[in-house]
Order: sequence, then structure tokens, then C-alpha cells
Amino acid sequence: MNDRAAVPQVNGKAAPSGASNGATTSNELGSVLIRVNVNGVPRSLAVPPTLTLKNLLREELALTGTKGGCEAGDCGSCTVLLDGEPVTSCLVLAVELDGREVRTVEGLGDHGELHPLQKSFIKHGALQCGYCIPGMMMSAVALIERNPEPSEAEIVEALAGNLCRCGTYPRIIKAIQSWRDFAETPLDTKPHPDDEHAPAGEARNGKSAEALRLRGRHAVVTEGVTRYDGPDKVSGRAVYTADIQLPGTVHGKILGSPIAHGIIRRLDTSKAEAIPGVLAVITGKDVPDTKYGVSPARYDEHVLAKERVRYVGDEVAAVAAVDEATAQQALAAIDVEYEELPAVFDAESAIQPDAPQIHPETPRFAGNLNTVVEWDFGDIDAAFENSHLVREKRFVGNRTYQSPLEPHATIARWEHHGERLTIWSSTQTPHYLQKQLSRVLGLEMGNIRVIRPAVGGGFGVKAEVTPLDLCAAILAKRVGRPVKMCYSREEMVRHFRGRHKQTIDLKIGLDREGRIQAVHHRVLLDGGAYTSYGVITAYYAGSMLPTLYRFENYRYEGKRVFTNLPACGAFRGHGVPQPRFAFESLLDDMAHELGIDPFEIRMRNAMEPNTRTINALDISSCEFRATLEQARQRSGWTEKKGKLKRGKGIGVGCGGFVSGAGYPIYRSNFPHSNALIRVHEDGHAATLHIAASEIGQGSDTVLVQIAAEELGIPYERVWLVECDSTLAPIDLGSYSSRVTLMGGNAVKMAAADAKAKVLQAAARKLGCDPHGLTAREGRIYIAEHEEVGMPWHEAAHLAFCANGPVIGTGHYSPPELGGDFKGSAVGTSPAYSFSTAVAEVSVDLETGYVTVERITDSSDAGTVINPVTFHGQVEGSAIMGIGEALTEDTLFDEQGKLKNGNLHDYLIPSIAETPRIDTTAVESFEPRGPFGAKEIGEGSLLPIVGAIANAIYDACGVRVTELPITPEKILAGLEQNATA
Amino acid sequence: MTVTATLQHHRPRTLAEACELGRELGARAVYLAGGTELVPPANVAGRLPGEHLISLRELDALRGVQQEADGTLRVGAMTTLAELTREPLVAEHCPALAETARLMAGEQVRTLATVGGNFCAAVACADLPPVCLALEATLAVQGAGEERRVPVEEFIRGPRRTVLQPGELLTALCIPPQPKGSGTTTQRFSLRRGNALAVASVCARLTVENGQIREARLALGAVAPVPRLVPAVHELLAGKPADAALFETAAQAASEAAQPISDVRASAAFRHQLVQRLAKRALEEAVQRASAPTTEGAA
Repeated sequence: MNDRAAVPQVNGKAAPSGASNGATTSNELGSVLIRVNVNGVPRSLAVPPTLTLKNLLREELALTGTKGGCEAGDCGSCTVLLDGEPVTSCLVLAVELDGREVRTVEGLGDHGELHPLQKSFIKHGALQCGYCIPGMMMSAVALIERNPEPSEAEIVEALAGNLCRCGTYPRIIKAIQSWRDFAETPLDTKPHPDDEHAPAGEARNGKSAEALRLRGRHAVVTEGVTRYDGPDKVSGRAVYTADIQLPGTVHGKILGSPIAHGIIRRLDTSKAEAIPGVLAVITGKDVPDTKYGVSPARYDEHVLAKERVRYVGDEVAAVAAVDEATAQQALAAIDVEYEELPAVFDAESAIQPDAPQIHPETPRFAGNLNTVVEWDFGDIDAAFENSHLVREKRFVGNRTYQSPLEPHATIARWEHHGERLTIWSSTQTPHYLQKQLSRVLGLEMGNIRVIRPAVGGGFGVKAEVTPLDLCAAILAKRVGRPVKMCYSREEMVRHFRGRHKQTIDLKIGLDREGRIQAVHHRVLLDGGAYTSYGVITAYYAGSMLPTLYRFENYRYEGKRVFTNLPACGAFRGHGVPQPRFAFESLLDDMAHELGIDPFEIRMRNAMEPNTRTINALDISSCEFRATLEQARQRSGWTEKKGKLKRGKGIGVGCGGFVSGAGYPIYRSNFPHSNALIRVHEDGHAATLHIAASEIGQGSDTVLVQIAAEELGIPYERVWLVECDSTLAPIDLGSYSSRVTLMGGNAVKMAAADAKAKVLQAAARKLGCDPHGLTAREGRIYIAEHEEVGMPWHEAAHLAFCANGPVIGTGHYSPPELGGDFKGSAVGTSPAYSFSTAVAEVSVDLETGYVTVERITDSSDAGTVINPVTFHGQVEGSAIMGIGEALTEDTLFDEQGKLKNGNLHDYLIPSIAETPRIDTTAVESFEPRGPFGAKEIGEGSLLPIVGAIANAIYDACGVRVTELPITPEKILAGLEQNATA
Repeated sequence: MTVTATLQHHRPRTLAEACELGRELGARAVYLAGGTELVPPANVAGRLPGEHLISLRELDALRGVQQEADGTLRVGAMTTLAELTREPLVAEHCPALAETARLMAGEQVRTLATVGGNFCAAVACADLPPVCLALEATLAVQGAGEERRVPVEEFIRGPRRTVLQPGELLTALCIPPQPKGSGTTTQRFSLRRGNALAVASVCARLTVENGQIREARLALGAVAPVPRLVPAVHELLAGKPADAALFETAAQAASEAAQPISDVRASAAFRHQLVQRLAKRALEEAVQRASAPTTEGAA
């Protein structure tokens, strides 16, 4: 809420009489004078009665460390201390603050020295996207000031109101427990001892001998270092898009359709335009005819509806005004008359012949079919015929929403002579944003500067251009001032782009020993009203099944269908988690039927390295079996399976993902990742310029490590510039788990290029051949005579003086990949990850409530570049998987209106849901990855849902095939079993 | 939607002043306690309801927890849930109240939300009314005249409706001394362990005398338009010894008394099931507490 405008607008109106006794504190403007102490500084402020403490801090006092995530007290991102007690500042009215004391994250620490708790968070890697961290920190400070040695239960109770979508809870608990350990130590980049070295098990085959050989060879990669973004994120210094206040900024808001399907018959903006403070109102007629989207063959969205609206929330008009409240008021004054059309809200009904047509003007979308995939490999009919056991089952997925704590935000400003656009956006894919802005606005990419400030979580929902980006650019042009636009929690969920709801008919044939003979996989994807990433989703839903287990006979029929609900898009694991859940569930059931241990059946079918799958995906490194073995041992499977009392269960699930998509989302010849490294003039540092997007996964840290390792200088000497298209060359961004492998390769190449120039200078000075030189940890020396050498910075300085700027460039494109059948590009990747998770649950047999008690995960992620970020991603996946399995689903009423666009009825896991999590990696080396690395961010989510579902079955004999597995469904299953 | 043109903030210093303001301003005024019910919709709408905001912050009369001469615990309406969880008098005299408060929301909302607000908001899933029904509590209401005491079951008239008239304020929650040999418990079910609204809750107080149940007060939350007592449970249990089969029957009666709706959190049918199971647990737990040597009211 931003109500600053509400007050000036009452100017001139008489103050109310009636109650004008001595108790009234408002002045004639409605503002109230308060005296409040903020971080030790006394302030006298005139505040309007509707201003919240959060907005007072952020907008009036520029203390933007305090974040906003829900405006309803559900997420805790805005937690500050009020008279020493934690409060959600979004629920406190500033008028109530007179005489009180407020402490924010900016008030922690002492004269620039971080508070020991902040240090502890950095040391434990207890932050990822960082958006929740200031609030988390304030709750934790309140706790330790009252109770310096809190137990885990006390920490959980104190922090249950602080949500973290990255799932950093286990690290946050540890950081709070050991906060005093770091009180005296100066902050260095050494992490907590638990994370000092890359986890690794025994190599199980010769292919990984390389990994063993490389052990201990590296100075920076594989060694734990604290996160590059740690100090900024624990101190509230990290700048997210909504934190930026440019001079002259005005605020934009979008009007969404109130109906699910209809034609705009009349649209009158005159009343809205007449409101003082409203600067521009745009509608469909003011925006380009060019449609946008993700996949070029199916661009199907206009910036604002030209005629037809297709879901509740479909964008109809946008407003720029002096502040958000005035913009809100203007939206309400826009008069729209709709001719309401019949709407359809489920995929099955949408493909019936008499269903309302959602895109009647587009022939290729006839029958509401968005994408149809038909793959047939081998001979499944014969293979089923020859199978010993054939089973088929229907599974239904859930429409989960990424729910990053930071809502989308954009600022657009036109510059120079008004022909250049600068846009700040909370995006995972700055380049695709630039590309779509260029297409829709008819502006060369060279005239568009995209700046990506810190991103408070994405998980796929920020991987495409939004109406905010496009409307902000158009409105900013109109009003000649910077336009800032932010979604509210409800608006972001209404725009959606979350996970598709898939209805999966899966049929598996096994031989007597449990070897997979044939798989028939049919998926109906409810895509919502537009394509978004959906074409790719429909292919991914089928392409990734053959990467985990070997089988030769495979038919996949995928159908993505339009409905009058918000469009679905890409969400961590893109299209694959639901098919994976189905496969892992059915395989488990069949193993039981055959009397084969669930681990054993997976071992028998496990993918081998250097395999080309039936759908032409090239698996290079693969230590899947090793992950199975490690997870079985570390979970104590053999001692537990079949021996737990009723209500307790253990289950296994497996998964894996691509390490970067083999092809970009639109055809181009740009290398996928590009990097520049500039060595500073004095040689003491180097700056990495890369547009890869840190969204919490830790990519900045990993890329800086790779740069430092290759350059031969310490981690602390590498800078990374904020992602800005004028400073860094194109990178496709953070999606498909591509950054470590692709960005890493580009960085490694750029670093090698820069290092070669430095070594040239060193060779001249030392009078030797540059090829005989080694650079490591800031020193250059002759490899054969380590004592002969010189400091790295001196050589770099010499190089600069001799030849000017020392710059290295690097780029990466994947090799030619895939087969020659339609859609074979989706699923291709230079490398694949593999992982196994074991879940242990307890089920309350009376209420159906499930508690996930323990997750044991083992991953093949290639070389682990950084243990801190590796564990953070796997732990976060385990926690996100608990939400996907048990509580999360986006719900709509029978008119297609969103029912739970908030964080109190869309339940993501809280800290109280944190199980014991054991994460580890197997020894593995990926020849195509930098230093042998591949992905971890998405693959680690894939085993979790299946593992939990299997554990629930083990605990109570109920096989729930429809996600989420709610207590209600479990009780129904228990009853059914009792009567059967 | 229009931005409120004349929103005025008032900060009365006395109870009388606050009541007078409310009476004078009528429907144009809203009392502001913790703000946790009032502010979230305002954040969405961009404005607060009404034209006058009457802050209750300065009213000392609404603060603090005291024990009255007859042993009644008087909890000021502006007492926050966080204070409730830490207040020694509450822990001593009605620990179930503190336990219930601890199950509500997250710490940073408990710091703001008030006891009075939880009653005055009169939402179906409020957590304090059911436990207070079990505890036989009354609510102190101050208007122009003498303070009156309204039993909890009469205070909430319907969803978002209470007995309060303009100019009347809920000033305190009054919990009478708990009977000797009684035990009280809250069984609450939510879809997430941390910081989630109740899907169903059952609170029970059993008073046991000479091995027999003298009185059973069982209240339901989140499964009817308003929190309510289930008198049938008392009828079934009174005068009988605690017994698993009997509790089963009583739990069934509780389930039948529920009038849940299907909503975004659960179906009505599931809520019926939950009530039955939570009621059984509540009765078992309450009888255990009643029989424990140092229960509430036993001293």
C-alpha cells in the first residue's frame, strides 16, 4: 500500500468535525505527527493514517533492507523490531508508532562491522536469494537477545512466521545455533567446517578416475568459499528492483479482466484520466499489434487485450500515476463492458468438440490444442506383449506456483534523446527480456539496456517477459518519466506461469527380473489461456523419462490444451516432476508386486554413462548407480525398509535433469554464454562481466570461483559486476540449470585468455617460455621450478603497461545435439545430472497428516564447484519437494477466479516443516563441464515427490496418485483399504 | 473504490473518551487494536475502511493481566497473543490459553494481534473463542454505563458480527477460577505445522470428581459459522467415569454438532472426520490433565 497520494488529495477538504475533541491527532491534512526512533536515530515525521511501517521505512526513510512479500503478515519478509519485539511491518500503521523504537536490518552490527549473527549466516551459507533474510535476521535477533542459546525447537517457533522459498531453513537453524562462534572472528571467505570440502563418495567406475585424479588439484573450485553475495544479503544492502527509487519515478498498475472469457465491447478511460495525479492510461489500442511469448511459432499474447480476454486477470489496460494508490484508484475508474462468453476450466472439457474456442482466430490452435507431441520409439506393442508384468495407472499433478518471496518488479526509463530504453527488471533471463522488448517495441536490441538487480527467487516464474516489463516501457515513453511497476502477491499468482497440471496415463511393462521393457506415457497438460513456455513443457514431459532408466520401447503422446485459466509456464524441473512422480510411484508398486526391493529394481534399470537414449539424448557422465548405492547406505534403508511400525514409512525416488538446454528458446547463432574478464590496472583484482543471472542458486559465487581458479588468483580478488547488458555480453540466463556448465565454460575460457596475457608478461620478466608457467593463488611460477616465480599482480601490471587493458573473452555453445525427429531438441543437453532421494515420513493415521522426518539425498552433479551452494540447492529442493508433494495447489472457483493468491492458503513449507536432510554427492567428472561440473539446481527436486509418495505408501498402504497428497486423500485411502 | 477523503486518526487517552468517540462517530469509525485483521485488506484496497480510526493503544485500562478478588483472571483486551504465551498468571491458571495462543500465526503477528481483536473480528476460524468457551470465560464490555459481562457464547453473533454496539468496547477477557480437578486442552489441525490457519479445532475441559466426570465443556472452532459449545458431550459424559468407548461416542456427537463448510482448506466431510478425531484426543488429553497432580484449578 502506498497512500502518500491519499493525503494531498484530501487537502482543501474540511477536517471532520464531530469528533474533534482533544484525542484527535490528525492535522487538517489527515497526517499525524509522530516521534519515532529508528535504528537509534530520533525522527519527527508527519505520516498519513494509512501508511504502513514497512512503506514508511522503504519509501520515506530509504531503508530498503526491509522487504515486502505479501502485505498480509504471512511471509515475514518485512519483519522489524518494534520496541524490541518482532513485528510484520506491513501490518503496522505508522500513526501508531509515536514514542516507539524501531530496529531494522540496517541497524544491526556496529560501525560497519557485521553482527555476529550476520557473520554466522554468511559462514553457514544461510542465504540464497536473500529476500527473506533481513526479516529472518530480525526475528532471530529478537530471539537471541531474549535467549542467547535457543534450542532448535525454540528457533523453529520463533521463525515459523518467516518463509524462505529457497528452503534455506536447515542452514538458518544452524547459523542461529552457533551465532556466538563468530563473534570475535574477522570475516573471511572460509565457510563453516562442514562445508569446507566438496562431498564425495567412492568412484564406482573407471570413468570417474579422472575425478579422483583431480582431487586436491584445485585451489578455489571444489573448496568451500562463502557466498559472493553473502555480506550484501545479510546486511540489507543487496538492491532488488523494487528497492530502486529513481528521481521522478511514477507508478504503474495493470487492470485485469474480471471474467474468464469474453469480448471487450466498450472501454472508456475518460474518468480514470480525469483523476488528478493520473498521467497516462493505455489500452489495447495503444500497444503494438506484435504478439509476444516464449516460442516463436506460438507468440500469442498482446501487451494488452485487443479484443478478447481469456482468463480472469488477462491484461486489459494500464495506468501510470504519481503513486500506487492513485493508479489503483484510476484502475477502478476504467469502464469496461464485456460480452461474456462460455469458458472452460479443465483440459479434458477443453478438447471436447463443443468446447468454447479460446483462440478462434488462430487456425493452428483449433480445438484448443496448443501443442501435440507424438513420439514412438521401438515397438511398444510387441514389448508389452512380451512383458512379464504390465501395469497402467492414471496420475494427476498439481498447479503449483513458484512463489518466490520477491514479487515481480520493473522500472523503465527512456534515455539519451528518448530513443534508448533502460529497464531494471526482476528477471532470470535478461536476454530474452531484451529480445521481446526489441520485437514488440520495434527497437533494436542495441538500444535497449537491461539491468537485472538482485532477484528474490525465480524458480522459472521470472524466465519470461511480463506485462509489467512491456507496460512500463510503453507508459514510460508516454509520460516521459521513469515508470515503476510491481505485482502484489495476488497479481503475481493471477499472472501465474506456474506448473502445468498434468493428467498422466502411464503404462510400464517389466520382465520377470524387473527390467523395463516398454513405456507408454500419455500426458494431458492444462496450459491455461496462453502458450508461455508450454510447447517446451509438453516436450519435456516426455523427453526426460528415458534419461534415468534404460528402455528401448517408448511411446509418448503429449497434448497441451488451452483453458480459461492463467497460463502455465516453466517451474523448476520444467514439465518433468509430475511424470517423474508418476514413474517412481508406478515402478515402486510393480517392484512390490514382483517382490523386488525398490532400490534393486532401480539398480537393474539404471542409466549407464556414454549412452544414447532411445530419444537421441547423449548421456555422457553418469554415476546414477553410485547415487543409489550411497543413498541406500546413508539412509539406513536395509535396516529400516519393512521394519518400521505402521504409520512410519520409507521410500525412494530418483530423478535428474539437463545441465542447460541444448538449444535456445528462439533460433539464433549467439553463443549461449559469453564472458569478459578485465584485469585491473594494478593487477590486484579482476572483474568478471557476465550476464548470467544469480537468482539465489549461487551462480555468482560459482562463476567467480571458476574465474579465480583459472586466472590463478584467490577468490577474494575477483569482482563480479551487476548484470547489465551494457557491461556484459549476452547470456541466455538462469533456466534449464545451465549456468554452471555453460556460463562456467565461458568464464573459464575468458579467464584462460586473460591469464595467457599475464603469463606472457611474466615469461618476459622471468626469461622463460610462458607455456612452462603456472598461476595459482596469486603467484606465477615455473612449473618445474616452483621457487622461480613472481607475484601474479606484478605480472598483470607489467602486461597492462606493455599492451594496455588486459582483457580476456570467452564463449560457450553446446555441441550439435539431438536426433532428426520433430521436437528432438527439447531434452538435449551437454550433460545430465542424476540423483536419488530417500524420504522417511510419519503419517497420523487418524487425521492423515504427513510429517516428512528425513530426506537422504545423493547426487551426481559432476565436480561440485562449491559445497556451500551445492548443499543449499539440494536442501532447498528437498523442502520445496515437501510442499509440492503435500500442500501446494493453486485453486480457482467455478468462474475461474483465483481462490488462494496469497501465502496463507497457498502453503509453501515453513521452517517447522524442515526435516533432517542429509545431502551428499558421488564422485563424478563431466568432460563437457568446467572442471568436470554439471547441474544441481533442478535435478535435485525431481526425486523428492516420488520418494515422499512411496514413503507414505510404505507407512500406511495408501497410494495417492493425485497431487498434492493431502490428509483428506490419505484418510479416504485408509477408509477404502479398511473396507476392501 | 475511492480513496477515503477524510481519514482521521484518534488517540483517546481514556476508556470513556474512546467509547464516546465511538458513539459519536458510529459506523464511520473503526477501532484499531493490533491491526492484523484491519490492515491486510487495506493493503489490497489501498485504503482503510471508515473515516475515523480510533487507536486503542494508549488505553491502560485495556492492558495487563490481573487476578481479581474472586480468582478470576482478567486479561486486558489489548494483551497481545505473544504476551499471552509468556504471562506467568496465564501459565499458572489456564495454561491451555497460552498453549492455544502459541499455536496461532507466527511470532511477529502474535506480537501485534490482540486478545480483543481475536474476539471482535468474529471469524469462524478464530482460535481463542473455542478455548475460552471451554474455560467458561466471559467478556467485559464497556459502554456508556456500567461494565457488563457477556459469556463468550453470546458475544459472537455471527460471522464478523458481535454484540458490541457503537461506543462499546471489549475491555477484557475474564476467565473464572477453573474447577478443582479440571483439565483443559486444545486440539487444532492445520495443513502446515508452522504459521497456518486452523482447519478444525476442538477444545475440551473436563472436570473429574471421585473418578467421575462432573462436567464436560467441549467447543469447536473453524467448523461452524461461529465457535460453539457442544452441550451433547456434557450430557453423554456427565456422571460417568472416563472411558474410551464413551469418549468415542462423545466425539461422534461433537462431529455431528459441527456445521462445517467446504472451502479452500478442506471439505466439509473431512472436517467432520477431523472433529471426531480431534474431539477424542481432546477428551483423552483433558482427562489426563484433570487427573494429573498439578493441573489448573487443582491447587
